[in-house]
Amino acid sequence: MNAVEVRGLSRSFDGREILNGVSFTVGHGEVFGYLGPNGAGKTTTIRILLGLLKPGAGEVQVLGRDLATDDDARAKVGVLFENNGLSDRMSATANLAYYAGLYSMDEPAERIDDLLALVGLADRRDDLVGTYSTGMKRRLGIARAILHRPEIVFLDEPSSGLDPGAQRMVRDLIVELSRREEMTVFLNSHHLDEVQRICSSVAILAGGRIRAFDSVANLTGARDRPAVTVTLADPDDRAGASGVIETLPFVAGCEPDGRGLHCTLSDPGATPDLITALVGAGFRIEEVRRSSRSLEEIYIEHVGSAGGGA
Amino acid sequence: MKTLGVIAGREMRLALRNRSILITAAIFAIWFPVMSAFGVVAGAGGDAATIAGGIAAITIPVGIFMGYIFCADAFLREKRDGTIETLLCTPVSLRRLWEGKAIGVAVPAYVMTLISATVTIAAISTIAGITVVTEPLLLLHLATIVPVWIVASAGLIGAAQLALGMRENQILGFLLIFGFIFIIIGLQEVAPGGPGISPVTEGILAVAGIALVAFARFTAGRVTRERIVLTIP
Repeated sequence: MNAVEVRGLSRSFDGREILNGVSFTVGHGEVFGYLGPNGAGKTTTIRILLGLLKPGAGEVQVLGRDLATDDDARAKVGVLFENNGLSDRMSATANLAYYAGLYSMDEPAERIDDLLALVGLADRRDDLVGTYSTGMKRRLGIARAILHRPEIVFLDEPSSGLDPGAQRMVRDLIVELSRREEMTVFLNSHHLDEVQRICSSVAILAGGRIRAFDSVANLTGARDRPAVTVTLADPDDRAGASGVIETLPFVAGCEPDGRGLHCTLSDPGATPDLITALVGAGFRIEEVRRSSRSLEEIYIEHVGSAGGGA
Repeated sequence: MKTLGVIAGREMRLALRNRSILITAAIFAIWFPVMSAFGVVAGAGGDAATIAGGIAAITIPVGIFMGYIFCADAFLREKRDGTIETLLCTPVSLRRLWEGKAIGVAVPAYVMTLISATVTIAAISTIAGITVVTEPLLLLHLATIVPVWIVASAGLIGAAQLALGMRENQILGFLLIFGFIFIIIGLQEVAPGGPGISPVTEGILAVAGIALVAFARFTAGRVTRERIVLTIP
């Protein structure tokens, strides 16, 4: 059983189709990135998964249960929306203690202490949250979301509105939590770099449909479409080298790339043979670099540079 | 039941920390009874029972308005800032969340109403030179009828604030307050003996108050998570 199962999910608002036949799964322990432009329906999907909205058609299950009707199942789920779910007029400790009460946690003091230390807010624990910076609130929001040790946590744009330093801190925190707490993470984001760094699999949503759904390694070609960029000592040798490379049986394609050549290999282990063939033909090689497509390239390919919102 | 106390306790603590709402409530708790005291004394002459009836008639509208003031902090604020969405993802049922918040609103509203009633009694005693504090029906009214009506109004206003958008809430809040006051005046008018305090009037108010609490529970039961989420601004 997967942590999240979505089959044929559709939903419209006022006759406008937001989701249309969306299907994907998230395995236990995965860090899953749900990508898409603004207005693509990412938050609507999360709200349906969390039981806050009803699906128009299709089925959704989280941990094998329907969160819309199963109050107890929600105790196994954590969530962080953009507003962090915190009261500005309460301290960090009081906010966490409140949620501990809602989750009927026994003796939560030690857990609260641990989490405040983990998110670096132990020394500000008794200050009102209203005095915190946006980044501090987000870190406290993450601590709140995992306070009750959920099996899966949904993070809706956790880096939104943060400066680069705070974004990195939040990103590191998600990785650390995923490792330490062994929980499934459903990350809703349009920060492609963030998703590529921390997610094991992604789904790209655009125009209400899933445009791509695979592991990050497969999507970026690191596994199925290995490629290398060969930089020659003399750029004028590119045409000759290209002629040699194109005769090699393990090369699927070769194109000029700056001072060198970008070669797509049909055999992932053929890079040494490629180097041997070029050196044997008398070409001087300055650098050979394994290359892969970035998630941004994949995203643009599926969504379009204009965003492609629904 | 534990979560009910957690939610209600938090709302009460937040209400006590909201200086602007406390100041608004305190001004209303003092200004309204003092202004009303002259009218009550002039209308009742020197009769202590009639004066007690006048005080009873004032306290329920005061309590309802206090509930409205505190509802804005407990229900509307969390909807406006989106915190309610996170709360709806906890294992707490929507009904329990509503109940906890309604109680958390009703308790400070009731305390402020008792302060207001004390000011009213003190003002009338000073103006008319009559002691009404020992009227048993007035004490019964303050101890039972007023809290029931505050719970009913806080529950209904809270349910409406959860279910409606911001613009609709501005309109409906006032409609509910005036609706409640209209019901109270109407009940007192139709009661045998007319306006004032009597066992029959108190009985009618008690039954109507309990019916309104039941109606508030029924209304809150019709509010859905989807309705709340789709009306978050």
